[in-house]
Amino acid sequence: MKKSIILVAILGICFSGCKKDEPAPAQDNEFISTMKLTFTEGANKLVYSVKDLDGDGGKPPVIDVIKLLPNKTYVLTTEFLDETKSPAVNLTSEIEAESAEHLVVFESSSANLLAVTRTDKDSRNFEVGLKASAKTNAAANGTLKVTLRHQPEVGGKPTKNGTASIGSTDFEGTFTVEIK
Amino acid sequence: MQQHCTKSSEPLKSLIIYIFLLIPICLYSQKKDCTCTLKGVVHDQEKHLPIVGAVLYLKGTSISTFTDAKGVYQFDKLCQGEYILVCKALSFDVTELKINLQDVHNQDIDLLNDDEHLQEVVVSSQKTSIANKTVLSGKNLEETRGQSLGEALKNISGVTTLQTGSFVQKPVINGMHSNRVIILNNGIRQEGQQWGSEHAPEIDPFVAKKLTVIKGVAGLRYGSDAIGGMVMVEPENLPDSAKIHGEINLVGFSNGLQRVGSGIIEGGLKGIQGLGWRVQGTYKRGGNVSTATYNLVNTGIQERNFSVGIGLNKIHFGTELFYSYFDTQIGVFTGSHIGNIQDLQRAISIGKPADAYTPTQYSEVIDRPNQDVSHHLLKLKTFLNSERLGKLTFVGAYQYNWRLEYDIPRGNRSLNTLNFKLDTYSAELILDHLPIAQLLNGSAGLNIQYQQNLSSSFELTKPLISTTLLPNYQTFNLGLFINERYVSHDWEGEFGLRYDLRNLEAYSLKIGGILQQNRFDFSNFSGALGAKYHHTENWESNLNFGLVWRSPSVNELFTDGIHHGSASYEKGDLNLVPEVAQNVSIGSTYRSKKLSFEINAYLKNIQNFIYLKPRIQNDTLRSVLTVRGAFPAFDYTQVDAQFWGVDLTLIYGISERLDFTSKLSFVRTKDTRNNLFMVNIPSDRIDNSLQYNFKKRNAYISFNHQFIAQQNRVEANCDFLAPPDAYNLFSIRSGLTFKHLSLGLTVSNLFNISYREYLNRFRYFTDDMGRNISIRVNYKF
Repeated sequence: MKKSIILVAILGICFSGCKKDEPAPAQDNEFISTMKLTFTEGANKLVYSVKDLDGDGGKPPVIDVIKLLPNKTYVLTTEFLDETKSPAVNLTSEIEAESAEHLVVFESSSANLLAVTRTDKDSRNFEVGLKASAKTNAAANGTLKVTLRHQPEVGGKPTKNGTASIGSTDFEGTFTVEIK
Repeated sequence: MQQHCTKSSEPLKSLIIYIFLLIPICLYSQKKDCTCTLKGVVHDQEKHLPIVGAVLYLKGTSISTFTDAKGVYQFDKLCQGEYILVCKALSFDVTELKINLQDVHNQDIDLLNDDEHLQEVVVSSQKTSIANKTVLSGKNLEETRGQSLGEALKNISGVTTLQTGSFVQKPVINGMHSNRVIILNNGIRQEGQQWGSEHAPEIDPFVAKKLTVIKGVAGLRYGSDAIGGMVMVEPENLPDSAKIHGEINLVGFSNGLQRVGSGIIEGGLKGIQGLGWRVQGTYKRGGNVSTATYNLVNTGIQERNFSVGIGLNKIHFGTELFYSYFDTQIGVFTGSHIGNIQDLQRAISIGKPADAYTPTQYSEVIDRPNQDVSHHLLKLKTFLNSERLGKLTFVGAYQYNWRLEYDIPRGNRSLNTLNFKLDTYSAELILDHLPIAQLLNGSAGLNIQYQQNLSSSFELTKPLISTTLLPNYQTFNLGLFINERYVSHDWEGEFGLRYDLRNLEAYSLKIGGILQQNRFDFSNFSGALGAKYHHTENWESNLNFGLVWRSPSVNELFTDGIHHGSASYEKGDLNLVPEVAQNVSIGSTYRSKKLSFEINAYLKNIQNFIYLKPRIQNDTLRSVLTVRGAFPAFDYTQVDAQFWGVDLTLIYGISERLDFTSKLSFVRTKDTRNNLFMVNIPSDRIDNSLQYNFKKRNAYISFNHQFIAQQNRVEANCDFLAPPDAYNLFSIRSGLTFKHLSLGLTVSNLFNISYREYLNRFRYFTDDMGRNISIRVNYKF
């Protein structure tokens, strides 16, 4: 009988000991404060961003107005940063390394305003969207919504299928767009 | 025939004598050649105090007696044979025992005696409270084996659960939950992260021999904040014999292929009378759960629990040490992981989750997101019975709750979203005093509690990150209480008074690394008053009043950020004041062989009810813009709330073998300050079952139908999705006993119906669980 108590005690210690190690305290692991869009056309380089440096709540995010010229095709690169840290952390390379789990979605208020085509592919030949081309038409005003979708594996199987519907949103910003 | 009662000068006793003279059972018959004697002492099992004036009679005869001032009773000149001894004492449960009287049975019967005596007679009763309470034990408890505590409690009328998926279930009593419900685990107030709607109680129900729900104000001894009620998880008393006993429970569920094994071994030590020990352990493992038509990825569960207890109990003193460990990992359905409101709306609009989240293959892997929670409880209880004062009890306890909630990270970084470590030290000193003037029975005491919470941090005063839900904090609570009872033949009265002092200090880090320190002090009086009237032997009614208060919890004060689980922006308020509840409840219980019923009606008015209210301006739900899009805003606000409702349980014996049981409950709530309906209130429900009891082997089979109405008392624009439709669930339960072995088979959701429950947070994403067949094996030795 005493043996059985000892046995249980040992078992108990094992149970407690089997607990995972405590993770180091870290700020929200998906914290992104800033999304930066760079439109390049020849030597012309235009940078617009969505920024929220005081976290959720508080002051609303600061969003630039995208101003582009009509009938041009721009090379568009998208970057994600955490600018609440100093120095700022660029998270783009991390997303690039996991391109098979991410998708940047561009939705303009009308196809005539701005047609964005993703030009980069991941290892499974799905588009990623960190690099894209953006084509403008006639002068117009509207909006461009840019969303970073995180589409991680589920049960060891990839879920990304090229559509936006899978996964969850890591970042979302809606710009006002002026083409003139 | 001869009157046997001795005269007594004490008024209460003479009253009792008078009563029992009226119902002439205080007499015994004399027969020739009958020389057997049966005698003993009646003790209060909990406190080991003798019970004065308990009535004892032999069923089917007119032989009866009652205990004297020392709790002693004696039957003389009994004939040989089998008797059923019935022991009744006012405000105690009735106990019936089979006694085989062979000879002169001339010995005292004491609860703490040896096993051989106990096999003959155990006379024990548990004190009942005036408060409205419902107990789940015996067969009804057996049927719930393997289920979570919340699921088991659902069998009590008026209790529902607030769910997050299938396994995270919090008890809701009369529409209230979380911080408004106290859960007592083996006499100790459970201190986990109760505030969270997705935080289930960290308790292994296999520890319990009895689950009790007290509705309304109860147990001022344990705190003033149980506005909704109290759940008590009570193990059996430690054994008092050296003989080794035990129990093995095995349960298998078809849904999720969940297996549960639990065992108990208990005994004592030869040579040390009153020493008992118990070792108990449970292991649970299950994989992905299925709804009626699809599987849900990452919905597995694992649980590893054990407890050990050792105690020495004598009549005049006793001490007991108890330790329990609870450890669970629960997968959170991956399809519920949303980043913003569009994700939620997308999930709602597609109805069935995407194929990636509904794999056809079974899996047991618990992936991210998941919850990983452990809870330690160490308890020391010591009592001393003083002949001059009464019973003095000291209880000291330490609890450590560690909650990790892992989200889906970017990259393979081993980061977690939430890491809460909660230490709670508590101590109480209670005196159950001897009757005052032969009239008042009661207790008075003092509780002290110190609590410290660390949120992703190692030191209280040095928060490392800014958290949106809980800061680091410490609380100090002091409570003083007194509770007195008056008992007469058909009346019982009770009153209680409590004073609480609470101090809270919080240390948080604002974005940008600024340390913020806040201090709060709360204090208040609470009171309870109750009366019970025994109309007849089988019928009693009670009326209870209560005035209780609850100070704002830390999350209600400090939350500031996105609650990802519910895709909402939640904002706390540092200026919240305690809420004060006035409760009135009236209940009636009737028990006979043919018909039993229990009805309880209540009305609660709560001033400054703390409530997460949608931020509505100009009739539209306001949102907060973040880098993940817009989130609807909710504020912790104070309103005046009214809750009222009725719970009813009725059992009718149609024939000797066929019983009909009906349980009905409804609750109505209103924010009376703004004249609005409130959210997350259980809808009306009725539960009917028909049970056939076979002649042999305690075998039974029951068919059960449950109707759960749609919750249509909600405000428009306050939710992302209208409450789900009403639904009907059918189930079959059965059981069979062979000597030491009992078997059970249950089929829940018999017709594999697709449904969604309003109080399941996952109703936005998936259907509830489909058909589930379970087999139970219980072996006692």
